[in-house]
Amino acid sequence: MGNQMIKKANAFEILNHWLLAGSFLILTLSGFGFLFHLQQVVAIFGSANTMKIWHNYAGIVFSISLFLTIFNYLPVSLKFGSDDMGWIMKAGGYFAKKAAIPPQDVINAGQKLYYLFILFAGIAIAASGFFIWLRPQVDDIRKWILLSHLVHNIAFDLFMIAVPLHIYLGTLANPGTFRIMVYGTVPLEWAKKRHAKWVQKMGY
Amino acid sequence: MTNHWIDFKNADVILVMGANPAENHPISMKWIMKAREKGAKLIVVDPRFTRTAAKADIYAQMRSGTDIAFLGGMINYILKNNLYFREYVVNYTNATFLVTPDFKGPGEFNGVFSGYDEKTRKYDKKTWSIQMDDKGVPKKDPMLKDPNSVFQLLKKHYSRYTLDKVSSITGTPKEKLIEVYKTYASTGKPNRAGTELYAMGWTQHTVGTQNIRAMSIIQLLLGNMGMAGGGINALRGASNVQGSTDHGLLFHILPGYLPVPSAAVVDLKTYIEKFTPKTKDPKSVNWGGNRPKYITSYLKAIYGDKATKENDFGYSYLPKIDEGMNCSWLMLFDQMFKGKFEGFFVWGQNPACSSGNAGKVRKALSKLKWMVNVTLFDDETGSFWKGPDTDPKEIQTEVFQLPVTTIVEKEGSITNSGRLAQWRYRTIEPIGESKPDSEIMNELYFRIKRLYQKQGGKFPEPILNLTWDYGKKGADGKIKKLDIHSVAKEINGYYLEDLFDKKVTPPKQLGKKGDLCTNFVTLQADGTTSCGNWIYSGSYTQADGRVVNMMARRGKKDIGGLGLYPEWGWAWPLNRRIIYNRASVDLNGNPWDPKRAVIKWNPNKLDPKTKKTAPGWDGDVPDGPAPPLADEKAGKYPFIMRPDGMGAIFGPGLADGPFPEHYEPLECPLSENPMSKKQRINPTIKLFYTKEGGLPEDIFLSGDTRYPYVATTYRVTEHWQTGVLTRHEPWQMEMMPQQFVEISKELAAEKGIKNGDKVTVSSARGKVWAIAWVTDRFKPFKVMNTTVHQIGLPWCFGWQHPEDGSGGDSSNLLTPTIGDANTMIPESKAFMVNVERA
Amino acid sequence: MARKALLISPELCIGCRGCQTACKAWNQLPATKTANKGSAENPPDLTPNLYNKIRYVEMPSETNTVRWLFVSQRCMHCDDAGCIKICPAPGALFKTKEGATAFNKDNCIGCKLCVAACPFNVPRYDEKEKISKCNLCSDRIADGLAPACAKTCPTGAIRYGDRDEIIGKTQKAGYQKLYGQMDLGGLGVLYAFKDSPKIYGMDEHPQIPETVVFWHKVLKPLAYLGLGGAVAASLLHYIAIGPKKDEEVK
Repeated sequence: MGNQMIKKANAFEILNHWLLAGSFLILTLSGFGFLFHLQQVVAIFGSANTMKIWHNYAGIVFSISLFLTIFNYLPVSLKFGSDDMGWIMKAGGYFAKKAAIPPQDVINAGQKLYYLFILFAGIAIAASGFFIWLRPQVDDIRKWILLSHLVHNIAFDLFMIAVPLHIYLGTLANPGTFRIMVYGTVPLEWAKKRHAKWVQKMGY
Repeated sequence: MTNHWIDFKNADVILVMGANPAENHPISMKWIMKAREKGAKLIVVDPRFTRTAAKADIYAQMRSGTDIAFLGGMINYILKNNLYFREYVVNYTNATFLVTPDFKGPGEFNGVFSGYDEKTRKYDKKTWSIQMDDKGVPKKDPMLKDPNSVFQLLKKHYSRYTLDKVSSITGTPKEKLIEVYKTYASTGKPNRAGTELYAMGWTQHTVGTQNIRAMSIIQLLLGNMGMAGGGINALRGASNVQGSTDHGLLFHILPGYLPVPSAAVVDLKTYIEKFTPKTKDPKSVNWGGNRPKYITSYLKAIYGDKATKENDFGYSYLPKIDEGMNCSWLMLFDQMFKGKFEGFFVWGQNPACSSGNAGKVRKALSKLKWMVNVTLFDDETGSFWKGPDTDPKEIQTEVFQLPVTTIVEKEGSITNSGRLAQWRYRTIEPIGESKPDSEIMNELYFRIKRLYQKQGGKFPEPILNLTWDYGKKGADGKIKKLDIHSVAKEINGYYLEDLFDKKVTPPKQLGKKGDLCTNFVTLQADGTTSCGNWIYSGSYTQADGRVVNMMARRGKKDIGGLGLYPEWGWAWPLNRRIIYNRASVDLNGNPWDPKRAVIKWNPNKLDPKTKKTAPGWDGDVPDGPAPPLADEKAGKYPFIMRPDGMGAIFGPGLADGPFPEHYEPLECPLSENPMSKKQRINPTIKLFYTKEGGLPEDIFLSGDTRYPYVATTYRVTEHWQTGVLTRHEPWQMEMMPQQFVEISKELAAEKGIKNGDKVTVSSARGKVWAIAWVTDRFKPFKVMNTTVHQIGLPWCFGWQHPEDGSGGDSSNLLTPTIGDANTMIPESKAFMVNVERA
Repeated sequence: MARKALLISPELCIGCRGCQTACKAWNQLPATKTANKGSAENPPDLTPNLYNKIRYVEMPSETNTVRWLFVSQRCMHCDDAGCIKICPAPGALFKTKEGATAFNKDNCIGCKLCVAACPFNVPRYDEKEKISKCNLCSDRIADGLAPACAKTCPTGAIRYGDRDEIIGKTQKAGYQKLYGQMDLGGLGVLYAFKDSPKIYGMDEHPQIPETVVFWHKVLKPLAYLGLGGAVAASLLHYIAIGPKKDEEVK
């Protein structure tokens, strides 16, 4: 039994995650290129114009991908119970060697919050990005553009803080987690410890 | 101009009236603004608040066509308040002259001067003459007290122009009048100078010449003529109008303002007798007395060896007009309309848009058999046969279009309003088949001459005997490439024989046979010199064997900071930059104002060549070398072009009176002339339409309720004349795309017109559409206790281009067929219209 | 090199618009088909093919029939230029050594952020979605020539020269302070106004939009700081506390 694997993520979810991650990487890289006029980055894309095209179209991919995440994560993320509160109260146990964490669902409270943040900031950055790109016919366009520019950059800053943590938590901080986004499966034992509620629901 | 463009900067007061330099002569504003920076006051008097008015210190709004009332009020103000420059007036003007006692002014003679004949609409000027003493010199009263003196007559005439009267005619508030009068009259002091700038706002009236005369009187009273920063300055409507007029553009003058003879002037002797002014006053230079030299040298220039003493120097070849015949613009098109012409050369103009009553012109063109349109672009004239309301099938006129080059594709001289001739170079080769005007004329001349040679014909000599040595001839005798320099040299003139000054012993050689003349002082009446235009003699000379094109000079040395720049180009006459400059000094030759000394008598002037000193003038080229007037023996009067040597306050030479009198325009909002009830309009203008009849095209309706608003026309900075050049220039069209009409807010409210609305402006003769500019730049006038509205619209648009018709059409479709009494320049600045929403 | 500037003196401007045409001639800008809308001011606003224009202001006057003001309108060549600040494309908008705010269409990515960031609403975009505006004739001034507008102005209403010299001269002529002397790090287009700038249609205190300043001063560094901080925090966590090994999880 010790080596029993259970499926935590399906192919669609994995693919979509990497779509989101990949487009995000392109957006971030080009974003930094624009923000700080990084010639080396521009060189990767060839020119600022191509970079803009990559940025814009990666934005479309990012937006679609973000939309698709809703089916995977939104319903569960919105279910926030006392166990989730407990998780938060203990900060997920990340600041102690050993901490007793209440049983968690398929994604834990931190992951839920992270998802909600990604969804919120993602919508903000995408909407403002599209506004700047498409410049819809509105009165006082300059004010709207400035607002979009502000939102786009605030969201970007938030992403810059949140995403590295996400990567860290999904890799180094939690050995065995990363494989979910590769194989979609985790060892049952691993899951029992981290997602007890879910494992229970799944009937193990 | 008596002065020149740069000279505006020397003025203390600049009166712009009848002009709009900011829009039509923008470069001149450089000098006007320089004057203002030094504290000068800019006064603008105009019916419309123009871009020039926007820069004015004082702006006075005045109903179109009432300039003489406005200026008459100023004359009255100057005289009543003793603001005139007495020493100047007494010594340099004819104010002291005594007029024959029979002279009567309009105030005492039913609105006309004495001698008027209602039938011929002309004056018998017998009563306008000056009393002469037994030596034949004008009788004078230096105290200016004699009731028959010009001064007293002037005072009497203009005492009728009271502030109330003037204000009720012009619609200008009294306070504004006083402000303008006071400011301008401040230049009556020796150390102050005022200048006047006018243009078509003064000339294009039935009283055009008298508008300018009125100002001349003011300038003489204030001692502003001859002064730096003074004078009367005509801002010419095109860059080379001065040059073309100098060279005989008009029907009644040959090059150099020599009169065109009538058939009655049968030979050269008669011509000289008739047209050479005489004086018996030893102090008068009477430069016009040199006319025999100029006409003879002119004949030698155009007929060369074929002009001999025996054949009267070819005088009989000169074209003559019939006695009393007038071939000015309005008359030409009237005759054309009546089918009197077969053919017509339209050269560098667009009469279908530019002419007063352009609708009549468009019809007149259809009476021609053929027309040659020499132009840069096709225009409303060239395409008249397919114009609005015209059926091409009914037009029999054959139209030829000859493409001509632009100014940058040809070489030659241009003379600006300041009489400054400047040489210009060709920068690019002509495009396509276009040719410079001179090449087209060369082509024409050769072909006409060959026809005469082959077919003979009536009186071929004037053509066959014409000199045409403007370049190398081919085998067929035609000049292959016309050398414009040889034309300029012919204009300057040549010594045809060695010339000696025989007054000194041994005789001193003045000129060598074959050399270019030094200047007109050396021209002769015996056929030993040639000169195509005496006033330009000295423009292309020979000094120490070296030929110098004076017009091509670009020296930047100035005299006394006045901006005379005597080494830049060349100004006629004799490179004189300010004419009548002898009036800028006192009787001893010292400048009235030492701070702006145009010339100054120097008893010890150093000759740079001989290193010897002798008395002479410093500064600008003086009006003759004679010593100042205080010199009992050799002193001369300043106004050397006048036979009596004096500035003319009394001007009997004009057709419509020796003093300007206010008459209403042909079409005006009043039923009678407030100055004199019996005579509404200028009594001497030629009427094309009368009670007895006339062409319906020439109709005019004054005081008619159907056309209740005064209208005026003008140009805009963005377009050139009728717009033939600028309407093809998208950058200009972008700024000024369509015909507009400026309307006061008050009139717009009355007519329910909003800014940007399309409206129709109509007169008794035609109508145009325009976009309304509802603005405060026009205001209703209070005239004779009634409200008079005025509107204005530009004349730079035409139906032919832009091709979609979006530009509109010429506002000259509205203007009347009427001209100035002296020059016949068409009236376009005051007529009556109606405005309605389209 | 000393910073160059234009001095606009509306007092001297006669509204002839020689500057408008000279600019078009030098910069090879085509004309637009316009219509007469009831004013001489045409085109009514700057366009990608109209780098400078004269604004005509008609207003009531106490002493006269009317007041008619003419004022040249174009890029102000701010020292602290909002457009350059916000521009994401390297080399699209830049300062020349004379102080002109110039542009290179090849580098422009057409994002139009500069339009929003300009305190004077100057930048326009051409049909290829590239920035188009007055560049102080940077090609002319690099060769020591005056910009086309200043060269052609007949009255000296547009003058070109060393910025400090212009300020010195106008101070001597009685102008305490020129419009644009201090604003936005000092404008490259100075105005000698005798009245309030407002009546000429100008903002009394032009400023780069606050959000752009906030973005520039706070958000931009925060992007690096946030990223660096997050990575550093993770690293710190890894060292100090370490990963959650399976056996540690309860």
